[in-house]
Amino acid sequence: MATTVVKSALQAIRERGLRTFLRELKDDGFTFVVPLSSFLLKCFFDGNLLFPVSALEPSSEIILGILSSLLFISSFDGNLIGWSRQTKIHNIGATVVGVDKFGNKYYEKLGDTQAGRHRWVEYAKKDRYDASQVPPEWHGWLHFITDHTGDEASLALTKFALQNLRLSTCLKDLHILVLQLLMLKPKRYGVEHKENLSGKGNEFIYHSKGHALNPGQRDWTRYQSWQPTKAE
Amino acid sequence: MAFTLRSVKVPPNSASLEEAKSRVFDFFRQACRSIPTIMDIYNLDDVVTKSELRSSISSQIRKNSHVTNPKVIDLLLFKGMEELNNIVEHAKQRHHIIGQYVLGRQGLAQDLDTKDEGTSDFLKNFYKSNYF
Amino acid sequence: MGLGLLTSRTLKSSRILHSQYSRFRPIVTKPKLQSPDASSAAAAAPQPETTPSPPKKPVGGARIHFTNPDDVIEVFVDGFPVKIPKGMTVLQACEIAGVDIPRFCYHSRLSIAGNCRMCLVEVEKSPKPVASCAMPALPGMKIKTDTPLAKKAREGVMEFLLMNHPLDCPICDQGGECDLQDQSMAFGSDRGRFTEMKRSVVDKNLGPLVKTVMTRCIQCTRCVRFATEVAGVQDLGMLGRGSGEEIGTYVEKLMTSELSGNVIDICPVGALTSKPFAFKARNWELKGTETIDVTDAVGSNIRIDSRGPEVMRILPRLNEDINEEWISDKTRFCYDGLKRQRLNDPMIRGADGRFKAVSWRDALAVVAEVALHVKPEEIVGIAGQLSDAESMMALKDLLNRMGSNNVWCEGTGTNPSADLRYRYLMNSSIAGLEKADVFLLVGTQPRYEAAMINARIRKTVRASNAKVGYIGPPADFNYDYQHLGVGPKTLLEIAEGRHSFCSAILNAKNPAIIVGSGLFEREDKDAIFYAAETIAKNGNVIRPDWNGFNVLLLSAAQAAALDLGLVPESSSSIESAKFLYIMGADDVNLDKVPADAFVVYQGHHGDRSVYRANVILPSAAYSEKEGTYENTEGRTQQTLPAVPTVGDARDDWKIIRALSEVSRICLPYDTLLSLRSRMRTVAPNLLHVDEIEPATFGPSLSIDCTQEINLTPFKAAVENFYMTNSVTRASKIMAQCSAMLLKE
Repeated sequence: MATTVVKSALQAIRERGLRTFLRELKDDGFTFVVPLSSFLLKCFFDGNLLFPVSALEPSSEIILGILSSLLFISSFDGNLIGWSRQTKIHNIGATVVGVDKFGNKYYEKLGDTQAGRHRWVEYAKKDRYDASQVPPEWHGWLHFITDHTGDEASLALTKFALQNLRLSTCLKDLHILVLQLLMLKPKRYGVEHKENLSGKGNEFIYHSKGHALNPGQRDWTRYQSWQPTKAE
Repeated sequence: MAFTLRSVKVPPNSASLEEAKSRVFDFFRQACRSIPTIMDIYNLDDVVTKSELRSSISSQIRKNSHVTNPKVIDLLLFKGMEELNNIVEHAKQRHHIIGQYVLGRQGLAQDLDTKDEGTSDFLKNFYKSNYF
Repeated sequence: MGLGLLTSRTLKSSRILHSQYSRFRPIVTKPKLQSPDASSAAAAAPQPETTPSPPKKPVGGARIHFTNPDDVIEVFVDGFPVKIPKGMTVLQACEIAGVDIPRFCYHSRLSIAGNCRMCLVEVEKSPKPVASCAMPALPGMKIKTDTPLAKKAREGVMEFLLMNHPLDCPICDQGGECDLQDQSMAFGSDRGRFTEMKRSVVDKNLGPLVKTVMTRCIQCTRCVRFATEVAGVQDLGMLGRGSGEEIGTYVEKLMTSELSGNVIDICPVGALTSKPFAFKARNWELKGTETIDVTDAVGSNIRIDSRGPEVMRILPRLNEDINEEWISDKTRFCYDGLKRQRLNDPMIRGADGRFKAVSWRDALAVVAEVALHVKPEEIVGIAGQLSDAESMMALKDLLNRMGSNNVWCEGTGTNPSADLRYRYLMNSSIAGLEKADVFLLVGTQPRYEAAMINARIRKTVRASNAKVGYIGPPADFNYDYQHLGVGPKTLLEIAEGRHSFCSAILNAKNPAIIVGSGLFEREDKDAIFYAAETIAKNGNVIRPDWNGFNVLLLSAAQAAALDLGLVPESSSSIESAKFLYIMGADDVNLDKVPADAFVVYQGHHGDRSVYRANVILPSAAYSEKEGTYENTEGRTQQTLPAVPTVGDARDDWKIIRALSEVSRICLPYDTLLSLRSRMRTVAPNLLHVDEIEPATFGPSLSIDCTQEINLTPFKAAVENFYMTNSVTRASKIMAQCSAMLLKE
């Protein structure tokens, strides 16, 4: 696995040249594609880079570390130690299946990839990402529950309705009308998907109305008192 | 539950009043050491200070200062240990702590007000609440 | 073999027999009704001889009063003989026999409509079930209330009623106290055959008090009959026929009666519900406290329904002598005023003129300090119109011990006299008004001053065509009356026998004169009372068997205040006051109070007088304290606390007791009981709860009046029915009512 990643990366550089490769990385949000190699090298030789273990493939992570230091590039996201880093290098040779409304990119790579590792997401937020940022329509695809991508999931009903309509009638206006109506359909449960903010601080977490940490909800008086300020 | 049972041990009876006294001091120190934890888990920072809680604990202990029987002291000590463990283990809720140890302190202070000396029970009760 | 087993066996065989033509499932719950074979088999089955259960007690503990022993007839209800007076309906006979007949349209205080058909019973020798509410009981009638025929009839009626009734009990405010809900559980079927669309009816706007969901209406017409018969407004009516039948105002119109809230109680379904109470609580969450109302001098019996510390609604309580089972809208809907503008902390006005919340200890110390340095004759106390007798007693005792006797209750006038009790009581009693056949209203508008007494007068007018004469400013009563004049001129004419109305009084059997207590405020009140007493003397109004001389008081505290002798020493004491103790008096004119006077306001609402106060002492409202009130007929009643006091407020008498101790003239009572025993020495009648203490002496003791009568016309005592005291003035609902209903 790791070797294939390195191989494909090297292949991509060979095909498109190093400059293009770097620019692509930059376009994808890796803003720190600056020669931080000295720092990185130091980390590497200190053994600090061995910490990022929460990545899918630790072995390839290390190799990537070597590779990136060799290529004088790095995806420095400020959380080098103890956090998984995402690296552009996976995406080489993969196809972008879709982008959701939050800007998360969904990749798929079939062929010689190990089964179960052929779909992945590249989060829009490079510095603070979390698995709960994946909206529900893409969740199924990403976790191999379904083969319909998120875009298809939201359009599936529309398509189904349109197919049925096409059989029965040929009125084009009606198609458009139906499409518009289906787009107007309220979102499920009526609220937008939100990422899970647990552990991000008290101000982000929901507190019930009697909770000590809920600001502005502590008044339980059942009467309104006379305000002496009104006195002349 | 198991944790409670483990931490609240019934020590052997105090042999003398001195031993009982030293146990009380030990208990007080233990309670004072757990105050920062208590403040943290019950979010008490905006309602009470550490020293106020300390004096609340000491006033609770002083309330029984007239007791001289080591057996009774042991019993009270056990009850205090139990209470402290319940608090530290978050077996209580915030309003329990506030009611018993934050507001309860004022109630005690009110009782001791020197201005009320010589007044009738009616007036003392009147200052406390409407219902007596 | 058990009866049930037998029934099920026979049922099995009969099911096979009937299977080919029983494609539609019959709508009966009892198997024996379904198949005649089964029921006959069950009846034929050997069963132990059951001794008939002893006769039950009458429903609701009702007692019957036989006016004429000859008119007693005997009927049989479910086999038991019952003696009832002639003219009673079958339904009433069943009630006396202890059998509760289901009903929707029948209401004992309204005329009989007989249109819901729920009260069907079987009468022997009658071919069909009869509607018991409309059928007079005849001697020897054999009424059967739980035969299969009667049960099936009820079930059928229920199914028809539920056909067009929405199944929205979970979102209906009547849910839990709904007659239809209860009776469909008791008498209805467990299934319906109705599959078509239900009808729907447009909701009507009846104003800010009554919410309508007309689709739920079952056309029992109770509300229509209530409006025309009791409330005396012709606003509601029945429109359309058949399935298009609906209740409504004929034109878009609000219900302008001051008794409109009662239609909420009499509506058997959720068609008419309380608008302020809508979606606030469920009735099973509420705690009921049986207490009395203090918003007017009637003392209506009410039940305060509360949830936790909050009053959720107010309902009437049955008291035949006072309010029957109605209450006025002010009584019913003023409760949101109990939650607004409340005084919750003792406050002291600082040097900068701003109020600052302080502790009770500091507030009382300040008041006591000032009170001790004021000359006794410069101390003045005024009790408010919502004060209970205990606190007025304590206030009078406190001021008397300070050396002052300038204490009175607002509304009792500039120079009140408490010597003759008949001069401030309704001597014929409220229920006694029904015996009167001529009314003379002098300077009073009972419709706005005491709506429940007005309902009594209207009932009498309707029942016996009693004549009503009225002296006062033009007014709109909901019964026919003769407007005799606007002022004392007419009164003098009647007193001197020069008026045409004199003959009506002379010819009447039980004439009643009602003098409004708004006249207390007039300077010439003695002369007016003298004139009214002259009329009473000439018309033979006061006799041993009938006392028709009545005074209609305006507020709940007045009668008790006068009984306790809250009479000021000098009428102009307020102008020289240095220390003014106001106990909830908000309608008193404080303009004449000297600027350097120290004013203490003890009360529960920040209303009018609070702005003049130097110290505010928060006290409990009538829903929060135990207190004695005497109503306008001299009946003593007690309130009970339904909810806790708000904030740091205290009971009125406790504040005065505490203040007395701080100012070192300790009053000798520590409990309510000892305060009441002190009250017994002054006015023993205030301890006889729920009893009328009639005035002992009549006008024979009154001295001749030499005062000159002033010919300025009478003024209306109540400007705005909905806002008469601090609670109602704080209420948003009452403000809406006066904005929407009074402009019409």
